[in-house]
Amino acid sequence: MITWPNFVSQLVNGLAAGTLLALISAGLTIIYGTLGVLNLAHGAMFMLGGYAGFVAFQATGSFALAVLAGSLFMLVAGAVIELVVIRRFYSRPPEDQILVTFGIGIVLVEVVRFIFGSLTATVPPPAWAAGITSLGFMIYPTYRLVVLGIAAVALAVLYVVLYRTRIGLIVRAGIEDSGMVGLLGINVYRVFMLVFGIGAMAAGFAGIINAPVVSLTPNVGDSILVQTFVVVVIGGVGSFPGAILGGIIAGEILSLTSMVNPAYSDVMLFAVMTLVLFLRPQGLLGLAGRA
Amino acid sequence: MRQTPLWLIVALTAAGLVAARFVLPHLGFAPDTVNHILIWGLLGIGFDLLFGYTGLLSFGQAAFYGTGGFVTAYLLTRNIMVSVIGALFVGMLAAAVVGALVGVVALRRTGIYFAMITVAIAEMFFFLENSPLSAYTGGENGLPGVPSPSFELGPLIWHVGTGWSMYWFLAACYFIGIVIALRIVRSPVGAILTAIRDNPERALAVGHGVWRYKLAAFVIAAAYAGIAGGLLGVLQGYMPPEAFTFDTSGQLVMQTVIGGGATLFGPLLGATVWLYLRDFLQQGLGLGTTWKLVLGLVFVLLVCFLRRGLIGGLRDLVAMTRRRKPHEEAAEESAPIVADPPVLASIAHRHRDEPAFSGPVLEARGLTKRYGGLFANRDIDFAVADGELRGIIGPNGAGKSTFFKMLTCEVHPTAGQILFHGRDITGMGVAQVCQLGLTKSYQVNQLFTRQTVWQNVMIAALAERRGPFRLDLLRRIDRVPGLETQVEQTLALVGLSARAQVPVSDLAYGEKRRLEIALALAASPSLLLLDEPLAGMSPRERAETVQLLKNIRRGRTMIVVDHDMDAIFELAERITVLHEGRLLAEGTPAEIQRNSFVQDAYLGGVAAAE
Amino acid sequence: MNRLTQPAATRRAVLKAGVAAGGGLLAAATLPAAARAAEDHPPIGTWPAGSEGDSVFIGISVPRTGTYAIQGEDELKGYLLAIEHINAGDPLIRAISPKTKQGVLGKKVTYGVADSEAKPNTAVEAQSRFISQNKAVLMTGSTSSAVAVALNKLAEREKVLYVAGISGSNDTTGKDCVRYGFRQCFYGQTAAAALAPKLVQEMGKNRKAAYLTPDYTYGHTVQKSMEEYLGKSGWTTVTNQVAPLGARDYSSYLLNVANSGAEVLLNINWGHDCVLSIQQAKQFGILDKQKLVVPYQVPFISKEVGPEVMQGVLAATDFWWTLQDKYPLAKMFVESFEKKYGYKPEWGANNGYMEFALWADAVERAGTFYPPAVIKSYEEGKKTQSTVGEVYFRAADHQLVRPVILVRGKKPSDMKAPDDYWEVIDIVPGEGVMQAPDAFGCKLGSYT
Repeated sequence: MITWPNFVSQLVNGLAAGTLLALISAGLTIIYGTLGVLNLAHGAMFMLGGYAGFVAFQATGSFALAVLAGSLFMLVAGAVIELVVIRRFYSRPPEDQILVTFGIGIVLVEVVRFIFGSLTATVPPPAWAAGITSLGFMIYPTYRLVVLGIAAVALAVLYVVLYRTRIGLIVRAGIEDSGMVGLLGINVYRVFMLVFGIGAMAAGFAGIINAPVVSLTPNVGDSILVQTFVVVVIGGVGSFPGAILGGIIAGEILSLTSMVNPAYSDVMLFAVMTLVLFLRPQGLLGLAGRA
Repeated sequence: MRQTPLWLIVALTAAGLVAARFVLPHLGFAPDTVNHILIWGLLGIGFDLLFGYTGLLSFGQAAFYGTGGFVTAYLLTRNIMVSVIGALFVGMLAAAVVGALVGVVALRRTGIYFAMITVAIAEMFFFLENSPLSAYTGGENGLPGVPSPSFELGPLIWHVGTGWSMYWFLAACYFIGIVIALRIVRSPVGAILTAIRDNPERALAVGHGVWRYKLAAFVIAAAYAGIAGGLLGVLQGYMPPEAFTFDTSGQLVMQTVIGGGATLFGPLLGATVWLYLRDFLQQGLGLGTTWKLVLGLVFVLLVCFLRRGLIGGLRDLVAMTRRRKPHEEAAEESAPIVADPPVLASIAHRHRDEPAFSGPVLEARGLTKRYGGLFANRDIDFAVADGELRGIIGPNGAGKSTFFKMLTCEVHPTAGQILFHGRDITGMGVAQVCQLGLTKSYQVNQLFTRQTVWQNVMIAALAERRGPFRLDLLRRIDRVPGLETQVEQTLALVGLSARAQVPVSDLAYGEKRRLEIALALAASPSLLLLDEPLAGMSPRERAETVQLLKNIRRGRTMIVVDHDMDAIFELAERITVLHEGRLLAEGTPAEIQRNSFVQDAYLGGVAAAE
Repeated sequence: MNRLTQPAATRRAVLKAGVAAGGGLLAAATLPAAARAAEDHPPIGTWPAGSEGDSVFIGISVPRTGTYAIQGEDELKGYLLAIEHINAGDPLIRAISPKTKQGVLGKKVTYGVADSEAKPNTAVEAQSRFISQNKAVLMTGSTSSAVAVALNKLAEREKVLYVAGISGSNDTTGKDCVRYGFRQCFYGQTAAAALAPKLVQEMGKNRKAAYLTPDYTYGHTVQKSMEEYLGKSGWTTVTNQVAPLGARDYSSYLLNVANSGAEVLLNINWGHDCVLSIQQAKQFGILDKQKLVVPYQVPFISKEVGPEVMQGVLAATDFWWTLQDKYPLAKMFVESFEKKYGYKPEWGANNGYMEFALWADAVERAGTFYPPAVIKSYEEGKKTQSTVGEVYFRAADHQLVRPVILVRGKKPSDMKAPDDYWEVIDIVPGEGVMQAPDAFGCKLGSYT
């Protein structure tokens, strides 16, 4: 259905979906860039964040507190996973790291299913963001606009952390040259733990703020994982700006293709990824020679 | 490291498959479960060749499993083909073709990129199967009504039924699959695949067409997946759509890791454990939905503590008990390097028969490399005559290593030209120039660390014997003409003959350095470049290596970069001095020593220190 | 195979499977009838091995993980209640299957449950295991037609009866029907035929409709059926948004719907997909402008989405618990179920219960577990009492002819109890709305 108003609506919608994808992918890319670990449990962390927020919401009744508590929980959960499992894997081949995070992802999903069952868990949007906003040319759920805003702010915060702080300097140094971090005389492991925590938090945070939109099931992260892969492959693995660009591109592809034929939305996404691989194998904003 | 003879493994496999029919029922296995295990096992053979042997972790095997399955099922259910075996074969071919196409895309990248791309491509296949192609695949309903095969053996007709009857058919398929895979693993290609897994850069540097071998492994894995998919349809009389899902690929990866990679039998064992535990946890222990959690935990623990899986763990255990035996410490020493060893004549480079080319062996013209605004090398003219031993020196940061890498085509120049035997090799790949007879030994050892000394040298020699790419999948590696002699001679030359069967990880540092040079030698280069061959050696090791370099220089041209001035001045006939990315001076050792520019820039400091 | 060892093997397997049906039961007394029948026929499927002991085994495969997990668990509860009732000779079972005393033909019913993950392959694998290891005499369980069709084919091949669980596709008793498969619930085309006149009656002719269709056979067939029936009254389709199964975000589809100018939104999605798409449609303000219709009601949808969203929504369903005011058997069923599980049953559970009750009746009337005899007993077309009045199986396609229940979502203020989500507005007799048995190309296979 290609009409002018629908095109504009889908454009906005693609941006909203894309920003959220960008936030999740940023977490994946930071972890990979710094630790050199591809986190296949990232989709599960998106899901876990949502459930953490759900529990906090049940306990407090406040959406803001749910977001805060859920994010902190994910930061800690990420750090603990790094400390207990991932740390053993830095000296092992990348395939082992992929395998173990894959396993962790399954365990997280099944633990959540064990505790919460398969019934959907719902977190309502905060009262002030419920309802619909008219943008003149279209109407759009207020909360989705809020998600767009929050995700954009979160990306900005991540940007500031990465580009304006000492820890960010270290992380970026790690992305440029992982050997260098050790030379800086820094406790590398503490940084790695923190970075894994931040990466997990980015996914978890996205999971919480997205919970009122999708409602939660233990499998809610499954499709996210594959989409974030496409995002980072398009944007460039390990590139923070690449994750943002890739996220928005992916969001727009999914939205705009649906105007023509929704059945091809996902196929289109993969087709674009393949195209990027041929024209620019390192991704749009990736550095040649890495990975 | 003796290899178990092939016939013994084959015989044991056959006996095991027959015995399983009679033993497994008593352990509570239903025939249907066993049949599924065989299909997972067959799917896993291909995956193990790809992941366990070649080191390519693909999360997309479902794409080929599904492709093979649906092509087979489509042909049979629409009565386009009558012969089940024929349809299985076509399905396998279809999967292989699709595998080749996907491989061309996915193998553009390595490591985690490769894994991610396979995930994404497999997902795309699922979406295609489910919706746009549902007219052919039955969408989410799959394709029911896949027939089982019948065989006419003279007057006897065997119509394959369900249950144990199907078992015999599947066991026969598995048997053929495993025999072929065993042959592949023991072929030259198999050796090269493991080399690619252990050190893809070095495999390339000794002259193997790494990318093409990877693609071959990918296609073979896809073919195995295709036939397994076809058999799944035959087994169930129904081709299920979820053959295409990510779950299928993920489960395959987990089963292979549980059983043990690079074993061929690992996936079969992994599938047995997986399916048994799944049923046992669900029904035996009444865990209901928790079964997947338990299996997930088991998997994570195995990856953490028993990465080589059950079979690998068992092997380690056996090896450990054996190692306790005292006579193990009858360690053999590597031979000292003597001057003018007798084997020398026969291992001269193979390019000696080429039509005489009178000019320099290697010539560089105006070679320049720029990184952004920085010049690593600038406008270097350089020529090495046939049979010469050239030394290259220069203070740190002089641009020696970049220059060296340009000569071996590891790094491509920004400007300038490189000629080898008068032939322009600018922009060629490392493997290609190695095949032409130009190779190097590395400053930091680049060995195939999980293999023995013999295997290391053999991998390099294979490139010289077989060229960059050849698919002799079923040839026994000891039937490659001249290979054994070449490996033996190379080892004798570097004095490692007595250490041939020792794993690389057990070698002393000096021995590893010699092996590093042996890898370059085994490619029979006419021009050998040595990057700091003396780095980090003890005085005794250094003396031996200098002697070694003297020995091997006969009949070939060599270029040596080293910080060890004494050695360079002792060995080299001419010396090139680089300074700040440019050519500073060139001449005989005596000339260089006298050169005032060199003294100012470089030697002065060294002389003062002495 | 050694026939003598089989009963023992069966018992061991049953013990292994960790299953137990409630209530002690002595079955020896009624053994002879089946035993005598056993003399007359060559073995077929799991017969006679599966019914030679003093118990018979049913293989149940329902999704307990994945998108349809809730519906699977609900269905399972219905099965388990039925087994309990059959073994105890509960009055409700005896009202449906008058010949039942305790068990089926005096044999205690045991069962095994496997998680099908809503995947045909897993379901087939599990049921094959139940057949070979436990000598199952009956298979059941599905929440999607993909699984039902796959098990239909397995039943045909293994010659073991299969009664479908939840399966709304026309194909299950249409083009993919089999001699050994039976279906209790109605299906897409029936839902459309029953619901369409009501929609026209309530909303008028010549309306503009938008569809949200899940991208699989069930979705496409229901969408086509609805479009066809409504088209007769001048309804037009302004957009048909086909979304993949298990989609997470419906925003782009919903924007297309919002911008389509439709007056009615027909949401054909099922399971969690339906819940999610309705919640998101609400967020997009679509439900304020377009009337929502759910052609085939999803168990627990009101509980998950909330009555404020579902009020006024029209749907077709197999069963709603307030039918207890009309049918005494429904009252018995709802009471027993609520007593055991603590909530009002949804139609998945009712469906599960009825499948077993009708099977028990068919077997009892046949007097043997010999499958062809049981099938013929089904095919007699005997009118049986059920929780929705009188029903019977059609011989030509093995579909139960049964009424379609039309419901409308209640306003929260009209709800008398927490579970009082729907108002039954019509009970449409099955004969009038079910298409001819051969309309979808059903060709039943042979008995042996």
